[in-house]
Amino acid sequence: MTRTDPLVRLARVVGDFGSPFYDEERQRDVWNEASAFGLQLVLWTTMLSATLAIWIVGAPAVPYVVAALCLLGAVCMLTIGYAQRLGVTVTDPGRMLRLRLLLYILLFLALCAGLLRAAFLRETFSASFAVGLASGAGAALFALTVLALVSRRRSRT
Amino acid sequence: MGRTSAQGRTNAVRTHRQQVGLTQAELAVACGVARQTVVAVEAGDYAPSVYLALDLARLLSATVESLFDAERAPLDPAPGDLS
Repeated sequence: MTRTDPLVRLARVVGDFGSPFYDEERQRDVWNEASAFGLQLVLWTTMLSATLAIWIVGAPAVPYVVAALCLLGAVCMLTIGYAQRLGVTVTDPGRMLRLRLLLYILLFLALCAGLLRAAFLRETFSASFAVGLASGAGAALFALTVLALVSRRRSRT
Repeated sequence: MGRTSAQGRTNAVRTHRQQVGLTQAELAVACGVARQTVVAVEAGDYAPSVYLALDLARLLSATVESLFDAERAPLDPAPGDLS
C-alpha cells in the first residue's frame, strides 16, 4: 500500500477525501455505506437498462449498450483496484459466490444473448461486429487476468 | 446506519452521561461529533472509533472498558426463525 500510488491519489481527488464532511466519523461511515448502495444501484440499473434496451430496441442500441458496459466496467475496475491498493481484496471466491452473483450472471447472459440476437437477426448490425465484440471481450478478459496475476504477484512480494 | 456496526454489543454511555449530567448535545460538542453520533453510540447502533471512545471515557470520567461491554447482547431472533 502506498499513499503516493496514482490510483490512490486519483481517488483522493475524485472522491474529495479532504472534505471537512469526512471529519465526523459516523457521517463518514454512513456516507461510505450510502456510496456502496449507490454503486450497486448504478451497477444493477445499468445492466438492467442495457439488457432491456438490447432486447427492445435491438441493433441500434448496441453502440450505446457497449459504451455503457465499457464505462461501467472501467468504474468497477477502478473501485476494486482502489480497495486492493489499500489491502482490501473484494474478489475472493468465497465472498463472491452468493445469490446476487448468480442473478448478476443471469442478467449478463441475457444481455449477451440480446447482443447475439441483434448481431444475427438485424441487417444494420453485422455478424462480423459480433465477432469483433467477442474478440474485444476476450482481449479485455485476458488483460484483466494478466493484471490480476501481476497485482497478486506484487502483493506477495 | 443500515448495518449496525456495534454488532449488538451493549454499552453504558447513556448511564455515565446521565450521572455526569451532560446532555447528548453537550457531549457531542465536547467530543467534536454530531449529536446523532452520540445517539447512535448510546443505542448500540454505532461502534465509535478508538479515539472517540477515549474522548467519551475522558469526558464521562470513566474508562473505555467500563463504557463498552465486550460481551455481545443476544440478538433478537428473526421473525419465523425457529432455530
